[in-house]
Amino acid sequence: MGKFIDFIIEHLAQFLQFTAFANMTIGHVIMICVGLVFIYLAIAKEFEPMLLIPIGFGILIGNVAFAPGYQIGVYESGSVMNYLYFGVLQGIYPPLIFLGIGAMTDFSALISNPKLILIGAAAQLGIFGAYCIALALGFSPTEAGAIAIIGGADGPTAIFLSSKLAPELMGAIAIAAYSYMALVPVIQPPVMRLLTTPKERLIRMKPPRVVSKVEKVIFAIAGMLLTTFIVPSGLPLLGMLFFGNLLKESGVTKRLADTAKGPMIDIVTILIGLTVGASTQATTFLTVKSVGIFILGAFSFVIATFGGVMFVKIINLFLKEGNKMNPLIGNAGVSAVPDSARVSQVVGLEYDKTNHLLMHAMGPNVAGVIGSAVAAGILLSFLA
Amino acid sequence: MQRRIDHFLSGIAALILIVAGTNLVKAQNAGDLKFNEILVLNDSSSVDDFGVHTAWIEIFNSAYNTVNIGGCYLTDDLGNPTKYWIPTGDPATKISSRNYMVFWADDKPTRGIFHLNFHLKDAKTIALFDASGKTLIDKVELPADHKADVTYGRPTNESQNWVYLEKSTPGANNDYTKKKSAGESFVEMDPFGIGMTMIAMFVVFSALTILFIIYKNMGRFFIRKAIPKKEKMPVMVGNIAKDEEMSGEVNAAIALALYLYQSELHDEENTVLTIQKVSRNYSPWSSKIYTLRKSPR
Repeated sequence: MGKFIDFIIEHLAQFLQFTAFANMTIGHVIMICVGLVFIYLAIAKEFEPMLLIPIGFGILIGNVAFAPGYQIGVYESGSVMNYLYFGVLQGIYPPLIFLGIGAMTDFSALISNPKLILIGAAAQLGIFGAYCIALALGFSPTEAGAIAIIGGADGPTAIFLSSKLAPELMGAIAIAAYSYMALVPVIQPPVMRLLTTPKERLIRMKPPRVVSKVEKVIFAIAGMLLTTFIVPSGLPLLGMLFFGNLLKESGVTKRLADTAKGPMIDIVTILIGLTVGASTQATTFLTVKSVGIFILGAFSFVIATFGGVMFVKIINLFLKEGNKMNPLIGNAGVSAVPDSARVSQVVGLEYDKTNHLLMHAMGPNVAGVIGSAVAAGILLSFLA
Repeated sequence: MQRRIDHFLSGIAALILIVAGTNLVKAQNAGDLKFNEILVLNDSSSVDDFGVHTAWIEIFNSAYNTVNIGGCYLTDDLGNPTKYWIPTGDPATKISSRNYMVFWADDKPTRGIFHLNFHLKDAKTIALFDASGKTLIDKVELPADHKADVTYGRPTNESQNWVYLEKSTPGANNDYTKKKSAGESFVEMDPFGIGMTMIAMFVVFSALTILFIIYKNMGRFFIRKAIPKKEKMPVMVGNIAKDEEMSGEVNAAIALALYLYQSELHDEENTVLTIQKVSRNYSPWSSKIYTLRKSPR
């Protein structure tokens, strides 16, 4: 009987060694707290809930400490999470998300006022500003390139590029990108106010003209061909973005467009959010580099906003009265769709209750998506 | 006009086909295989799977996809291109992307599919033919003065020149020197990222400026198309005629006012334009016949 009790106690003790309590470190506790903060921000503050809930819960999943060797963790070959993570590592999910984004994006604002496209280009300054700072801080060229893309404010693009250039930093980069995208309403307004005069904030822009279906169809096809001919390495993202848009605008593939912008993007968002969150295991995530990535991410958003707003101010110098653009839409070149456009609208209304900038800001906003994908392609072709 | 557009589109399609046709030679298939390194006299270099020092031929798959060499022919005699048939159906004959495969030229084909039925001692040329046995994929003229254990090959994968190599590397890249990554090379010239910023911003702006130019002009074209032709246009006076970018809402309001005025349907009530309910029992506006579709049966 005594032997049997010893046997039971021995196996209970052995079992305890397998529990998360026995394998827990302070790092795991910190990361679980981070995950809980994400979930809180998503539910209580409604900051990007579609992303922060999967990522936050993924962080919880990734930081339940376990004894290695049982094919549990996201980094263990053969585990379920590892299979799901494959789509992130190989850059499969981001293009699929771009397909959905293309199918739900209306480029009318951009087509009706094409000069807004250039704001989307100017805001990419955030990416390359962050690249310079990252190099100065001692990050390797590929790491600097992967970190810099946070300034593009585009989660899928950030994941895609970091999976190619610095897979080991992907978790931190994705978390930083999505965090700052959620914080766009906090980061951008002070920069916008600082760079604009009260008179500039009151500029009224011409209403966008009606755009025909033919123009929209041509935009999807010509946009893809022109951008990818210049930067073929952006093909996975740009090709899917414009393909999704063609599904929407052709008017004859409604079912496909509905699937791309509905169930498919939802499924991929769940998988990408959960697995990126789970990839932030304390053992790999809590490093000095991660702290550097978060600081650089904040800088890149500020520089991107600066680039967009200043570009509008400069362009206004060459435009006739009546054709001028409100510099408050410059921030929307940061491709956090539609949050940064919403920021333009909110800040604009603070100074003129009847000056609605949302429609105008959507132009640079979607141009920012194209611009950041092009920028990612450039970084990939130079650094990979 | 339609015919011109059709001709234009046909021209573009033809151009694409021509470009695609000229690029067919670059298609990723057996044509991407090439000889990479050869050892004719093997005294004390690498040994085959039977532990024997024997001559070998290395083939490189330059494609970015897996290529199956099965079915192709290797020969040391151009007059007999089908001398050694590489068996098909064996997974071992698949060469993965940018990888290498070694054949042993020991004239002992019974030792396995990688053992050829000829030696290299007296060979002057070796060649690889495709599965038809007629199309030459690659060939190498072997020099006469071979040194023992010194391989003859391409110094790099992309090189067209053949030289004697310092080190034999069967099944591996001939270029074993330490290489800087693309990023490292870039940063060596541009340590602060200024060059990258300038190039990248230039490219991003160029790409989006091209889009801007195209859509600016396309927009003008479509706006012009949307405006009715001169002879059908009513005579317009004052500033309205000059203002081409009048919004749709303004046009609609003017059209409605003109229509109401001409049809004398307008009424004045305290100088406010209103649409009053017509005091008739029947009106097409309230008729269900005109507003509802028939229910499906």
